Amino acid sequence: MSRVWMLILIALSNAVRGIRNATATSALAIMTIAVVLMLVGSASLLVRNMGGIIEEVGSNLQVTAFLDEGLSENDQRDLATRVAAAPGVERVVRVGKEEALERFERLAGGAELLTGLESNPLPASLEIHLFPDSRNAEAIGILEDALDGLPGIDDLSHGEEWIEGYARAVSLIQGGATGISIVLGFAALLIVANTIRLAVYARKDELDILALVGASRTFVRVPFLLEGTIQGLFGGVIALLLILGAYELFLPQVSSGLEVLMGRAELRFFTTAEALRLVGSGGALGFFGSLTALVGWRG
Amino acid sequence: MAAGEAPVRMYHVSKSYMAGQYALYDVSLEVGRGEFVFLTGSSGAGKTTLLELIFAAEQPSEGQILVLGRNVARLGAAAVPALRRRVGVVFQDFKLLEDRTVEENVRLALDVIGTPRREARSRVFAMLKSVGLQHRRFHHPLSLSGGEQQRVALARALVNEPEILLADEPTGNLDPELTIEIMDLIASAAMRGTTVMVATHDHSLIDRYGKRMLRLEGGRVAEDVPAAGAGIGS
Repeated sequence: MSRVWMLILIALSNAVRGIRNATATSALAIMTIAVVLMLVGSASLLVRNMGGIIEEVGSNLQVTAFLDEGLSENDQRDLATRVAAAPGVERVVRVGKEEALERFERLAGGAELLTGLESNPLPASLEIHLFPDSRNAEAIGILEDALDGLPGIDDLSHGEEWIEGYARAVSLIQGGATGISIVLGFAALLIVANTIRLAVYARKDELDILALVGASRTFVRVPFLLEGTIQGLFGGVIALLLILGAYELFLPQVSSGLEVLMGRAELRFFTTAEALRLVGSGGALGFFGSLTALVGWRG
Repeated sequence: MAAGEAPVRMYHVSKSYMAGQYALYDVSLEVGRGEFVFLTGSSGAGKTTLLELIFAAEQPSEGQILVLGRNVARLGAAAVPALRRRVGVVFQDFKLLEDRTVEENVRLALDVIGTPRREARSRVFAMLKSVGLQHRRFHHPLSLSGGEQQRVALARALVNEPEILLADEPTGNLDPELTIEIMDLIASAAMRGTTVMVATHDHSLIDRYGKRMLRLEGGRVAEDVPAAGAGIGS
């Protein structure tokens, strides 16, 4: 084994020895990083899924034009042709009064709500499907202007306002989560730094002896950096497991709630790369915490 | 260091920790290769400071110190470890790590230079054998007697085959029988060509070994008595 590998092995074994000899303080650092990463990771997962819902709902965004009562079949067909030529429109589906009623019954789970009515109160409508790049507020505004005043259209409806509000909420949560992540990350960094600083003081005799026998500054410092990094990686793994546990526990309830609200919504956990990034950011927290502790230490 | 140059050379060296108060004052001396020197003097005479200057634990306030050809006064922090790997140091309080075995304590001096484990183990075993402790290599320091602990410290100081061995009151905590045991080991290092400097209060040792003696007083060299020539280990 080369001398360099031997030095790496010795540094690693000294780092593990350091963690073993200071179990309580190491556990504190690990748990602090775990809690911070769990909060940050959960927020990131929430924001990611909320963003996913926007994408999914956005991709199904369509405009519905409710037609005047008594518009003849021919007029409806003519109107559908004119609407199909409007900017951003991919295709137009005509929904007659009867079909609207059938859909309502399907959605409401029966026709009991309408039993007291003499006639079908639901209007005929045109489902206007948009091209993907027109599924936004600006394009919908242009389409509304184009359809405005067309004879036979009673009202226009779309989910654009709802989506815009939702997107604003996501962006707000994202901003808040980023701010909180920075503050919590900084707090974790300081706690790791203090843990390593305590370890340095606790091992002063050992460090003096190492200096006496000719240990370089790197030989003395690297085990502390490794110690912080190992603690951080452990914290990251614990955070990941906690988030996974919570995700598995609450997923069924959240999913059914979302299905009621939006018809369907697929929630997803971190990808492997994202999970590794979470664990890696724990390692980075630990590394930089240790570095902070060692800056200015003359050893 | 050029061949034939003394490993330790001091020119008008002074060390002051507080303005106007000198721990060492205007000390000039040379210690040759393989030479054995006793440093003596009362407490506070400057023995420990002189040794600390040689292994670069301190920097001189004035003057020049050349240790193995390196000027300690101008040695940067990064160069100190390399010098210390060529200088073994032993203290009165042994300075052993209690949570490590005897073998691990001695191996520290080899670990810091990345000596492969197998080579390190065999060198440590040979070193422990030479101080008579090979059978205790898996014990921890606290289970050893004072004399044994000092032999471990000595083994750690010598395992890297240093060119200079410094010992600061190495027998201060030991009874007379163990004192001789340790001093014989130190003297045998000098016989193998290591330059040895031992700080001690014990004049019976100086008389017994008949080596060169530097007596310090108030930070100055008050007396420099050459080796008698017929002492033990000469």
